[in-house]
Amino acid sequence: MVSRTVPMRVFGRLIGGAALVAWMGTLAGAQRGAGPDPPPPPAEGRGQTSPASQRPPQTKVPQDYAAAQIEAGRTPFASQCGFCHGRDAAGGAGGADLTRSTLVAEDVRGDRLGPVIRSGRPAQGMPAFALSDAELAAIVAFIHDQKRQVDTATGGRRSVAATDLETGDAAAGKRYFDAACTRCHSATGDLAGVAARHQGLTLLQRMLYPSQAERGGDPPRVPQTVTVTLAAGQTVTGPLAYRDEFTIALTDASGWYRSWPASQVKFSVDDPLQAHVEQLGKYTDDVMHDVLAYLQTLR
Amino acid sequence: MTLCTTFWRICRRCGSRSPASTARARRILASTLLAVVQAAAAPGQSVPAERLLAPAVDSWPTYHGDYSGQHHSRLTEITPDNVHRMTLAWAFQTNAAQQIKATPILVNGVIYLTSPDNLWAIDARSGRQIWRYSHPANDGFKIGHRGAAVRGDLVYLTTPDAHLVALDARTGRVRWNVEIADSRRGHWSTNAPLVIRNHLIVGVSGDFDNLPGILKSFDPETGALQWTFFSTPPPGAPDSISGGATGGQMWMTGTYDPVLNLLYVGTGNPTPVLNGPARPGDNKWTGSIVALNPDTGQMAWGFQAVPHDTHDWDAAEVPVLVDADFAGTRRRLLLQASRNGYYFVLDRVTGKNLLAVPFATVNWAQGIDQDGRPIPNPEKEPARDGRLVAPDEAGGTNYRSPAFDPATGLFIVSAHDAYGLYFFKPEHGAVGWAGADYTVHGRGVLRAIDYQTGRIRWSHDLHGGAGAAGVLTTATGVTFSGDSANNALALRTSDGTTLWHSGTGRVGNTPITYELDGRQYVLFAGGSVLYAWALPR
Repeated sequence: MVSRTVPMRVFGRLIGGAALVAWMGTLAGAQRGAGPDPPPPPAEGRGQTSPASQRPPQTKVPQDYAAAQIEAGRTPFASQCGFCHGRDAAGGAGGADLTRSTLVAEDVRGDRLGPVIRSGRPAQGMPAFALSDAELAAIVAFIHDQKRQVDTATGGRRSVAATDLETGDAAAGKRYFDAACTRCHSATGDLAGVAARHQGLTLLQRMLYPSQAERGGDPPRVPQTVTVTLAAGQTVTGPLAYRDEFTIALTDASGWYRSWPASQVKFSVDDPLQAHVEQLGKYTDDVMHDVLAYLQTLR
Repeated sequence: MTLCTTFWRICRRCGSRSPASTARARRILASTLLAVVQAAAAPGQSVPAERLLAPAVDSWPTYHGDYSGQHHSRLTEITPDNVHRMTLAWAFQTNAAQQIKATPILVNGVIYLTSPDNLWAIDARSGRQIWRYSHPANDGFKIGHRGAAVRGDLVYLTTPDAHLVALDARTGRVRWNVEIADSRRGHWSTNAPLVIRNHLIVGVSGDFDNLPGILKSFDPETGALQWTFFSTPPPGAPDSISGGATGGQMWMTGTYDPVLNLLYVGTGNPTPVLNGPARPGDNKWTGSIVALNPDTGQMAWGFQAVPHDTHDWDAAEVPVLVDADFAGTRRRLLLQASRNGYYFVLDRVTGKNLLAVPFATVNWAQGIDQDGRPIPNPEKEPARDGRLVAPDEAGGTNYRSPAFDPATGLFIVSAHDAYGLYFFKPEHGAVGWAGADYTVHGRGVLRAIDYQTGRIRWSHDLHGGAGAAGVLTTATGVTFSGDSANNALALRTSDGTTLWHSGTGRVGNTPITYELDGRQYVLFAGGSVLYAWALPR
């Protein structure tokens, strides 16, 4: 809740003209003491099918949990999950807002959440948790109850709405895309319909770095390809399975994992995502939003 | 010495709560300098101040090994030529799911190792558990723990419910247990306390609620509170200079100059964390390095590494104390690789900035101001539609300790080149996190920085995202650390070449070294196991 004087001069530099009007509108709402999020403004020219108008993923199978079980999950959730996901599961330091997670929406009594909690997602910094069945069930109950509460409550979300991201200029984004991205991508090829498959924050994250996790789903793999030249001169090519300073490994044509000491073979790695890493240093925020606006037209 | 005249402290002994005068501060400084001399001359407790001033090679008696924070050992048995022959001496399995993040403390042949709610006493010769303390169940955050502290026959543990527990070092029995801060309000502690004579300096965390930043000193024998330093004002404090910000938690262990009698500690990010409009101005003393008198908690000076932070960057990283030439003059220096991606050199007598240059990818500053502080670009403040900012929330570095090698003049830090997306809108509110942020991509790299110029002398790719390992250097020119895959590493300090590795699991702590029975050991954590390495016998 913003209740003090806000330096509008600073905001004017932060956000563009049309967005500033919308911003001031929400500020005014906040200053009136209105707790609820304002309803999202209608997305221009896109009607009811705009991703911006989509609600957070809804729980697929309604589930009832005993109040005692929900309460039993509150403390372990807070102490073990709360730092990253927020004590209320609506997002914390870097972790996803679980109340808007597809995985949570699709979960039935831990069938999807359990394996993720037990195994972790090391690539995204989430450790594995050793929990008893009862502890896990209580945490799952707590998460579902938080989702139920947040779905029916208003205000206070740490999430990003798809409408928040619609500040770019699609025509400018197309010009940038045509100049910078078409070596690897095509609007009518690999990216045809991309905005139908991904929306909002997920689309932006995938645009910036495609192996970025889909919130609530397994990270899609964009495999790097490695070619290893053995001492005898023979070469083996396949998707990179593992690489550190000392070991190189791939999955060969028959599906077998094969590894070598990195110092004893020659190898080259083709990383199609390296261009995305380099692009991060080239984007201005305006260009980033313009390109996103263009991708949002590829439906 | 410039003395700050606007700060908040409550002295338990005199009950005063007022700005201190320069003259009074000078009197206190003079009297404590005398006390240092007297203490150094007096025989006494088993782990007294003088041991911490010049630690023996058979110990690692405090979080940073000594008061300087250099993480540099004078041991010489292990060299660049023989380090590849290191073999496993022992391994200690915690049997816990959480990886070890703590730096082990070693005193009198016993290692004290911590995790949230746990402290193990381990035989430093065999890796055998002597005893274990488990703190009662509580709902504090259990994201990690930095380490223990030892003084006399007591070992100290901070806990997720923000308590300070004193254990009998022989048995692990609780001698006393005091609350540092109220965990129900949102504080917790991962802090390794710092012993300075008859003071036990303890910090807390608390980012998810708007709480003043507090550092406390306790009587090491009784647990009685001696003083509290507030980096941001407590509710109702007059003459606030924080601009409405709370936060600035001092969650990392500081360093200490016994001659100046100054404790150096880094302060955390302001709260609300990502909501900048709610707290205009610089938000002092968040994101700062502050110099305090350990006898009074009185602030001598502050340097703000990140004015008006809106990205969860703190300046809590280790303030490394080095006496060395700078631009041709011998000086008492303070070096910090800060979470915001900048490397700072300060004169630690006055707090004056001597150098501020990036050591990791940064895009958030418009330049450096006349006081040596980066100038935040308002365009990079979190916004409704997102801002692409380098570094990300994890920062250009973080809690993992850097090392300083005096022979080469290299400051070696586990760096992180990363971008994050930062969002804030008024609906996010003005309490706690108050925004949303997501890492887009990050790459971990060990960087060796020329301490006088900030130039990168060498880089060593860590093969993954941000590393978790701190850095240890030795007098023979060996650098110990870990990569972002599963390897403990030994590198040549002069050029970063790999000399040895072991795939024993991701190193989540700072390696330490000690000599026992004439043999040099090097300890790394790998996952939830602590490994001791030594040359074969």
